[in-house]
Amino acid sequence: MSAVYDPLVALDKNARPIPALAKSWKYSADHRELTMHLRVGVRFSDGEPFDAAAAVANLRHLKTGTRSGEVYRAVESITAAGADTVILGLRKRDDALLYFMGLGRSWMAAPAAIRAGTLAGKPVGSGPYTLDTAGTTSGSQYTFGKKRRHWDSGRYPFATVRLFPITDQTASLNAMLSGQLDVNYANPMNIPQARQNGWNIASKVATSVGIQFADHTGKRLKPLGDIRVRQAICYAFDGSAILRAVASGAGTVSDQLFPVGEPGYEPGLDRRYAHDLARARQLMAEAGYPQGFPVTMPMSQPYQQLQPAAEQTLGQLGIRVSWQNMSQPDYQKNAPTYPMFLAVLALDANPAATVVNRITSRSWYNPDPSVNAFPELSRILGELGTAAGDRRPELIRRLDTALVGLAWQNVWYQADNTYFSVRGIKVTPITGMMFPTLRFIQRG
Amino acid sequence: MLTFIVRRLVSGIVLLLVVTCGSFFLAHLAIGDPTPGLLGNSAKPAQRQALREKLGLDRPLLVQFWDWFSHAVRGDFGTSWRNFQPISEQIGLRVPVTLSVVLTATLLAALLGLVIGVASGRRPGGILDRCLKFASVVLFALPGFWVSLVLIMWFAIQLRWFPAVGYVSPDESVLGWLRSITLPSIALALSAIVMVAEQLRNGFFEVANQDFVRTLRARGLSTRRITVHVLRNASPAALTVLALTFVGLLGGAIVVELVFNLPGIGTLTQSASQIGDIPILLGLTVVTIVFVVIVNFLLDLVLGWVNPKVRDQ
Repeated sequence: MSAVYDPLVALDKNARPIPALAKSWKYSADHRELTMHLRVGVRFSDGEPFDAAAAVANLRHLKTGTRSGEVYRAVESITAAGADTVILGLRKRDDALLYFMGLGRSWMAAPAAIRAGTLAGKPVGSGPYTLDTAGTTSGSQYTFGKKRRHWDSGRYPFATVRLFPITDQTASLNAMLSGQLDVNYANPMNIPQARQNGWNIASKVATSVGIQFADHTGKRLKPLGDIRVRQAICYAFDGSAILRAVASGAGTVSDQLFPVGEPGYEPGLDRRYAHDLARARQLMAEAGYPQGFPVTMPMSQPYQQLQPAAEQTLGQLGIRVSWQNMSQPDYQKNAPTYPMFLAVLALDANPAATVVNRITSRSWYNPDPSVNAFPELSRILGELGTAAGDRRPELIRRLDTALVGLAWQNVWYQADNTYFSVRGIKVTPITGMMFPTLRFIQRG
Repeated sequence: MLTFIVRRLVSGIVLLLVVTCGSFFLAHLAIGDPTPGLLGNSAKPAQRQALREKLGLDRPLLVQFWDWFSHAVRGDFGTSWRNFQPISEQIGLRVPVTLSVVLTATLLAALLGLVIGVASGRRPGGILDRCLKFASVVLFALPGFWVSLVLIMWFAIQLRWFPAVGYVSPDESVLGWLRSITLPSIALALSAIVMVAEQLRNGFFEVANQDFVRTLRARGLSTRRITVHVLRNASPAALTVLALTFVGLLGGAIVVELVFNLPGIGTLTQSASQIGDIPILLGLTVVTIVFVVIVNFLLDLVLGWVNPKVRDQ
């Protein structure tokens, strides 16, 4: 996407929104209106000019998209004010909007191509590269040639970019070993091999791994409504051992939903549920479940490597799991119907985005946010909704402390995304982006 | 000969119809209502009903079949249940990839199998014959993915003669296309080569000891001409094995496509099976059967040419 399209908003290496096709922006005093001033003189590769009308057409199109639409849920109206200004009217304050737009939800395409519905086969954007159809074999290799003129040309040092969609990790490693690839989304297990070959290795936390409690109030599984049971489960898991065994140690043991090293993360909270099986059993007994309880959980291929640890550890508390096997797409569809399930979920570098994605919004992994049933959470979230910028870090810290205290989720560890690149090319990983956009792949 | 061709064509079409109909009804009866899988357990009955109507699943099965069949005969297999993209387009993009690899592997199996089989059959118990026996045991035992990985390690990573992954369309570069299909084709062909060679070797050895060959020798025919006669009599079994090999390679391509990251019908079959996308699976079934029918038809023609008695059977 980042080869062919320009976004309205981009992210810097610290995941802070920075100007792209939107030169600048400003929120109204009540944060219910976002005014964006657009770059002028930009054209799409089909010759159409990029202006406010094009931006409005794109934003409306993105709002109707299944995934992109989630970002624009709070957006009520999108209007042009002159040739180079766009105003987004918001139903309620949304502090994560600009971050999500920068994360890849504000790519601008030629309006004619949007109307024609041909973007999937023939992308038309204003980005630094154009698709070279002669050098492209669908499904196997996509070649992009650099444009002679682009408003941010200096940021893209490569004359040609070739993209190989490879799903099998052994195949992608082989491709890198054979010299076909310069950059690779890698399996941390291959880090020793990367060192042997003198490749650059870049890693950053990207996902939380553990058990997702989808029923904090005990509606479907009564024991889960008891904080002591949730805490017992948190104490029982040895995140450090699982991280070493499953992810070759590529990650950081943490109990938190906020990514390690990013705003919102509190190092002191990570020892809150240090592995303590005796304490876990004691909490189960205090909650009235000394013999545990039965639970049904879904299972799918990507989670199979976590299954033994889950089964064994829950078994130590007497929690007897019946696994229901299903395909990966069905897992996401069916998981919300279970009270708890294994989950590997993307982290967000922006704390407001974490609040929206992981706590307040309904999603497949958070089918019943139920924050209103927890007065402290409800109060902090209410304050966050109106707080001025300087008060927000303190409120996020309080929220994080409250979530960990309530054992909101059972996070075992935060796993890294790892990228290999050959000497001379450097990748800067961004938490929230599975594949860093081209601006984060530089010579160096 | 014309009657023979017409008969084979009709039987091929009947096979195509029977297997296609069987696949359609078996797939639908086995999966039943696909909407829980497509929408999830949490979907409301109204949402499921809406999807059933959108997919046309609210109609009687026979009506659904006729609708699908009447479009399929015109090459329109409908759209995928998952991404709603036209299936003919998706399959059309992938068939050339799989055919490139499978046909090249079959060609390699035919040519090398012929040379090795005849050479071994002419000197049974010789070094080449013993090597063939050893190779047939070893290559049958080795799994395809392992052979593929060894080829990649050696020819792509160590020597860098061929790419480790990916497919280049011949429209883009003929040389690139050849380089991209060489290793996958060899990986697929290795066991097929020894299979064809073994068949030819046995047939050749058996025919070479028959009375008519002794008579040919007694009449002073050259070794080359005798070899041609023997080969003609020994080839039917090998040709049948070759045709079966093609069908087998078509199915076995999944592993090779995964290891070499080739966007062929094998990987499409795998992904469609995982998500229960019946229209794609049916489209792939029809395409595969068409290939099988064509290959069998060609085999019958060749066998009829090699042995005229076959035409009357």
